[in-house]
Amino acid sequence: MSNTHNLNNNPVELSGNTRMDSGTPTWWLVFVRELNELWMGGKAPVLLLIYSVLLGIMTYVMASNSELSLIPPQEMVYETLKAAIAVGLFISMIIGADAISGERERSTLESLLLTPTSRRQIVFGKFLAAISPWPVALAITIPYLKVLSQGDAVFAQAVPWGALLGTALSPAFTGMGILASFWSNSNKTSLFTGLGIYILFLLPTQLPGSAQTGTMGSLLQQVNPIAATNHFLSKVLVNNRHVGEFWPFLISPALFAALVYVLLFWYAGPSLRLEGGKASKFWVSVGRLIGFSVIACFMILLSTTPAMALQQEEQPQEPAAMSIEQMPLQITIDMAYKTVQQGDHIIYKTVVTNNGAAASPGLCLAMNIINLDAAGDIVDPEDWSPQRTQYIVSLAPGESATHTWRVNAILDGDYLVYTVVIPEPNGRDATSQVLASSGIHLTVTPFTKLNPGGVLPYAIGGPVVLVLGIIFLYRLRRRKIDMGGGTTESE
Amino acid sequence: MFEKNHPPGPRSENEVLVAKDLRKFYGQREALKGLSFSLNAGRVLGFLGPNGAGKTTAIRILTTILEPDAGHFVVNGISSEHPEELRRKIGVLPESLGFHKQMTGLECLVFFGRLYGRSAAQARVTGLALLEEVALDRRSKSLVGTYSRGMRQRLGIARALVNDPSVLFLDEPTLGLDPRGQKELLDLIERIARERNVGVILCSHDLPEVESVCDDVLIMNLGQVVAAGTVAEVIGRTRRSAMQGNGIRIQVPLPAVAEARQILAAVTNVMNVTPAGDDAATQGPPFGAGWLRVEFADSTIVNLTENPYLNNRVLDALIRAEIPILGFEAERSRLQDVFLHLTEEALA
Repeated sequence: MSNTHNLNNNPVELSGNTRMDSGTPTWWLVFVRELNELWMGGKAPVLLLIYSVLLGIMTYVMASNSELSLIPPQEMVYETLKAAIAVGLFISMIIGADAISGERERSTLESLLLTPTSRRQIVFGKFLAAISPWPVALAITIPYLKVLSQGDAVFAQAVPWGALLGTALSPAFTGMGILASFWSNSNKTSLFTGLGIYILFLLPTQLPGSAQTGTMGSLLQQVNPIAATNHFLSKVLVNNRHVGEFWPFLISPALFAALVYVLLFWYAGPSLRLEGGKASKFWVSVGRLIGFSVIACFMILLSTTPAMALQQEEQPQEPAAMSIEQMPLQITIDMAYKTVQQGDHIIYKTVVTNNGAAASPGLCLAMNIINLDAAGDIVDPEDWSPQRTQYIVSLAPGESATHTWRVNAILDGDYLVYTVVIPEPNGRDATSQVLASSGIHLTVTPFTKLNPGGVLPYAIGGPVVLVLGIIFLYRLRRRKIDMGGGTTESE
Repeated sequence: MFEKNHPPGPRSENEVLVAKDLRKFYGQREALKGLSFSLNAGRVLGFLGPNGAGKTTAIRILTTILEPDAGHFVVNGISSEHPEELRRKIGVLPESLGFHKQMTGLECLVFFGRLYGRSAAQARVTGLALLEEVALDRRSKSLVGTYSRGMRQRLGIARALVNDPSVLFLDEPTLGLDPRGQKELLDLIERIARERNVGVILCSHDLPEVESVCDDVLIMNLGQVVAAGTVAEVIGRTRRSAMQGNGIRIQVPLPAVAEARQILAAVTNVMNVTPAGDDAATQGPPFGAGWLRVEFADSTIVNLTENPYLNNRVLDALIRAEIPILGFEAERSRLQDVFLHLTEEALA
């Protein structure tokens, strides 16, 4: 193009040095520019695309498990919502961590700082743009929650609670990321710091169940905003507990968010600088000390809590006096063998009869499933049946009790299902004779379903719709700009 | 190319930037040791110094990116104690440029225009006019990411002018440009200074460039000013104080070299006449030519500015002897020599 070598000789007549105020706040201008950079630059769409693919895979796996009756809808919705919030927070953190240090690296911060704009407004505009992916992530999640809820009322609860808690936490984590990038000169440092903080918050939620109970575990859960949110959601969505019982778990997310906002907009915001700055040796040492202490605490917690829990479970046993009393009990079963497909179930009945002259003690009936293939997986009966054990208070002489058992065929293979009757021992130093029924030879043939729970269109459709949306946005943008011109001058 | 010597402007009138005793410490190290200078409207000041001289610190202080530990400065009546107000009076082209590549050239200027308080419509009009001024109007809707280095530099200058500043800071504006692009940009800078009556501070390591476009020059070393004044003043002052090597070079036909040496040696104030370079002796068909270097007796007194008639006398002697003069070149100190001399002196 010829224009590149013909500089115009007419200077622009501007309106002098007088101050002009268009009334548009700086934060809004920065927000619009950042939004454009974030979405048109591709970062937010790519992260959300990855998010939707992961969510699709997770939903598909869950729906497959649901078909095998492994997970009830409430739990699937809860798990999906938990994952959505965790990934949403991660995305928020990444975008936040790039907000300032990324501009430093790309050298775009200097030109912004050279304008007569308030530093706090620059930070606020950037913050608003950085939280923009969360509502989209939530919108992407809703169809998955809908399909996984399988018509259960949990969906109506999950969406508002997920939106509320995610919307409280996501901006706070964005703010956390921005704070990390505030004092970092490079993106690498701020991303690493942000990721470290994120893992620190996420770690307690991954501790073994035993470590999450007890005074210390419970306190840790209540203080950690992510763990508290998860706990609250699990109680309300899965266990149908009343909100009033668990509202204290909402305090830490709210306090955490408030703390981040105060730090970001009141303390750090006004002092936004071109350089991230170097911490003094003292603060570097303090930071390292805190970091190592936290890691050490978690290591100790991880290593000791399960052991303590085990110790509690393993009470020292007094050698019991072996007074085995033969009970004149009988158990019959109404099925000898059955072949079913994976995902199907069988229902059988047991009849326990007291043939003796005296009333029986309390009886416990326990169902067990044994894999006949020595190389096969060991069966956990709790995964296969909602009725692992049933109880009889007592049977009068000649009295019978009938019980119904349901067994879900989870995995293919050869199994033997049986039930045992366990009379209650007469005391701590006594035991009893266990009586077993005859077995049911259960053969489970394999079954695969390509579209479990009708989830496949969502699992594939979500990312596809997102890709189409991205293409639409790019095309819209291309109309506004001249894409034809390459560089006309040598570099 | 280096003949430009603007007359010194009125120092006390029309000052757009006055800096007084600016100091900056990084820990125990004093990076800036009391910088004081002033800049008049419509003049271009070359801000020079080797790496680590304190140039960047000074510019960052003057552009309000850094706060000085002592001293203050005033831009067009606004004190450095009011940085937000002061930023309305300055325009900056940072070395790194720093454009958002997802914006078009026009969007970029509109964005910055609005940050200075213009309405969307005003900012657009200003942006379009500035793009025309820097000859980017035909690429106004192209993404900045597709611009060449030269185009981005010009866009950077347009961005720096978006608030109609009183002082313009340009950090290495011609870095990475080809000679043609360099010349065009320097012409643009000169025109901006003159026509907009803007005081321009030009930071550059390209000393011929500074010499060609700047009216004044300020040389820093180890955090302090080692020379300041008009370009001619700085060169002249330094040469008088220490520098050598003022004379002329004359090219004559090869057969006349010996005779010319004899004649020139007899001219008053000529101390020495020597052949200047073997390679020159073989040039100049059909008979070849040779360069002679004429060194004057007292270089502390004689120089081209103060005694131009000496050159006339030298040439007149050759003309009278009917020796053809094929070439003539007046040797004089250049800013580069001054810079090297001053910075080496400070190191010593």
